[in-house]
Amino acid sequence: MALKGRHWVMIWLLAFLVAAGSVVTRQNAALRIARALNQTRDSLSSLRSRRADLERRLRQAASRTVLVPRAQALGLRLPADSEIVILPVPDTSAP
Amino acid sequence: MAKVTTRISFIEGSLGVLLLALLVRAAQVQLLQGARWANEARQARTEHVVLEAPRGALLDRHGTPIALTQETYHVGIAPNELRDPDRDPAAIARVLHLPLMQVMSELDRHYAYFAGPFTAGTVQGLRDVRGVHLEPVLNRFYPSPDFARAIIGRVGDPGQKPSGLERTLDTLLAGTPGAAVVLKDRAGRQYDSPARRIQSPVPGNDVVLTLDAELQEIAQRSLRLALEKMDADGGDVVMLDPATGEVLAVASELRDGGARPSAFIDAYEPGSVAKIFTAGALIAGHRITLSDRVSGEGGKYKMLDRTLVDDHPLPSLNLADAIRVSSNIAMAKFVTRLDPDAEYGMLRDFGLGTPTGIEFPAEASGRLELPKTWSRPTPTSLAIGYEVSVTPLQIAAAYGAIANDGILLEPTLVREVRAPGGEILYRHEPEPVRRVVSPQVARELRQLLAGVVSSTGTGASAALATFTLAAKTGTARRVVKGHYQAGAYTASFAALFPAEHPQMVVVVKIDNPRKGSYFAAETAAPVTRAMLEQALASRTVALDRARLSAAAPAAGGGELEDDPGVAPYVVSWPPAADTAAPAPPRPVPDVSGRTLRDAVRLLHRRGFHVVIKGWGNVEKTWPAAGAQANAGSLVTVFGDTPQ
Repeated sequence: MALKGRHWVMIWLLAFLVAAGSVVTRQNAALRIARALNQTRDSLSSLRSRRADLERRLRQAASRTVLVPRAQALGLRLPADSEIVILPVPDTSAP
Repeated sequence: MAKVTTRISFIEGSLGVLLLALLVRAAQVQLLQGARWANEARQARTEHVVLEAPRGALLDRHGTPIALTQETYHVGIAPNELRDPDRDPAAIARVLHLPLMQVMSELDRHYAYFAGPFTAGTVQGLRDVRGVHLEPVLNRFYPSPDFARAIIGRVGDPGQKPSGLERTLDTLLAGTPGAAVVLKDRAGRQYDSPARRIQSPVPGNDVVLTLDAELQEIAQRSLRLALEKMDADGGDVVMLDPATGEVLAVASELRDGGARPSAFIDAYEPGSVAKIFTAGALIAGHRITLSDRVSGEGGKYKMLDRTLVDDHPLPSLNLADAIRVSSNIAMAKFVTRLDPDAEYGMLRDFGLGTPTGIEFPAEASGRLELPKTWSRPTPTSLAIGYEVSVTPLQIAAAYGAIANDGILLEPTLVREVRAPGGEILYRHEPEPVRRVVSPQVARELRQLLAGVVSSTGTGASAALATFTLAAKTGTARRVVKGHYQAGAYTASFAALFPAEHPQMVVVVKIDNPRKGSYFAAETAAPVTRAMLEQALASRTVALDRARLSAAAPAAGGGELEDDPGVAPYVVSWPPAADTAAPAPPRPVPDVSGRTLRDAVRLLHRRGFHVVIKGWGNVEKTWPAAGAQANAGSLVTVFGDTPQ
């Protein structure tokens, strides 16, 4: 059966719709992925910020300014140098 | 019918003309003006943005972060876009930790803007609030804001120059900004589509400093406590590795809490700390023997232009006694054996009067006049540390030369420069400036200094029970507005620790101590001992404990001069790397095919730092498996699924 003119119009219209639909779908998918990527970046940034904050607090909590007064309050003190014994490393080169 | 035909022809003709006009216009727009319209359309729909390059990190010698770059945010709010204008302001104020009144007042405007900057964690709760627009901006972050603040400096606000090391190292740290094109709608808002990168930003290099975080904290805390206890105006501490010239700690404090890098930029008259340099000139020039003695003049010596007084008078003194009890009278007598050029030359060779060359902006050179400008009392003044001004860093470098068998090294604050990928671009090697004195003379100077910390020396209060120390005290009158101020002194103490094979030079300076004694023996010397005890008790401080254990005599051991077991001091050249230097290179293990977790564990066990690129199983590493890399260096692990 020979295709009439209106059939060709339908076919071209359908082809156009399919092409346009695929473009829209791809764009939507790209935007969805871009949003997900941005969210992941935001999460990463947030986690890095959290880590930096924790590191700062850790450094502060472990600093001498905080630890020494606490240790002294517990009755501890810094050892005098005579109380520090550095063990000599055994000479392993000897037979 | 003719009428109809005519009408149809007319309509057809009109349509034809219109079609032709359309074609002509289309040709004009597409062919003749195409480039211009395309450009306008591009400008309306796209925007070029600059991608800021992350600034490189500053790390201490053990990798502890000192300055990092962190993504922060400015917050913009379009009030007309808020879903719930009644409740949203309160939520925004709560999240941003701002007063509600301030937020409400800003929201009265067309577009509210809060510069912050706010951290990513802070703004997390605002990401889904409609009408809130987050503007990311890279911000410099200092985990310990007080850590060597005056030395590290700050990046400053946009348009302002950085200060301190942030300024000196700016070209290394800054990186190269990138560029990208983003799509925007008719209202100018950017789409959530990925940007098209024209040029990716290149992050700045990481710089590993020579500072030791633990020693720095010890120095800062000790100095701060000392200033409070002595009610002093300010002070400085410099710790230096004499074998490499690496500065291990620099603390500068003002009583009012101000941060000023005075250890590098403020010169002062060192007083008796400088006597050892004149002693060096006397010994090196064979102008004296250690048995030569001069009268102590009963502690008071009247010269033509001044009267010198000794605080610890002795009937007669040799050079060792003069240094040990810090006799001005003996040094004034001994210096007459030197001609001015020899005295000047020695002081100059020790680096006085010239900048040390450390990587710091506006380092002071101090003052040392040429002999032709000297007045008659100048040689005596120089011999006892007056008419010359130095920075604490210059004194540390000069004492480092005595520790280093007579070789003056250029001090440095930069240990390594690493590219963003981890490869090492620069590693500091000791940079000799000149040989100041022979190894024999340097050894004799160290023995003179060791006498200062003996039980009869002025530095006895710095003595450690187990380890020997070689040091010199200095208490000098302070110059205020060009005149010596009555009752104002600078107390300083320069020490080599330990006396045999020194691993550290410590210089402590206290400006104008008011409470208690002003003598260095009772101010700066005990501070030095306290810092050394803390350093010894710390596990992480860059001290070679193996060498210390070999050098440490039994507790209660005799003085250095009396110890027959002291081996001659020998410095190999080039000097051996210090304890914190990387261990010998080792092969990178083959981790390909393993899971990232396994690979990282294995690499950590082998002593490497690890950076991961991608995910999945390991595809390769850089440096490649089998390549030699230093322990502590960075190994990049590439997953088989790229990022």
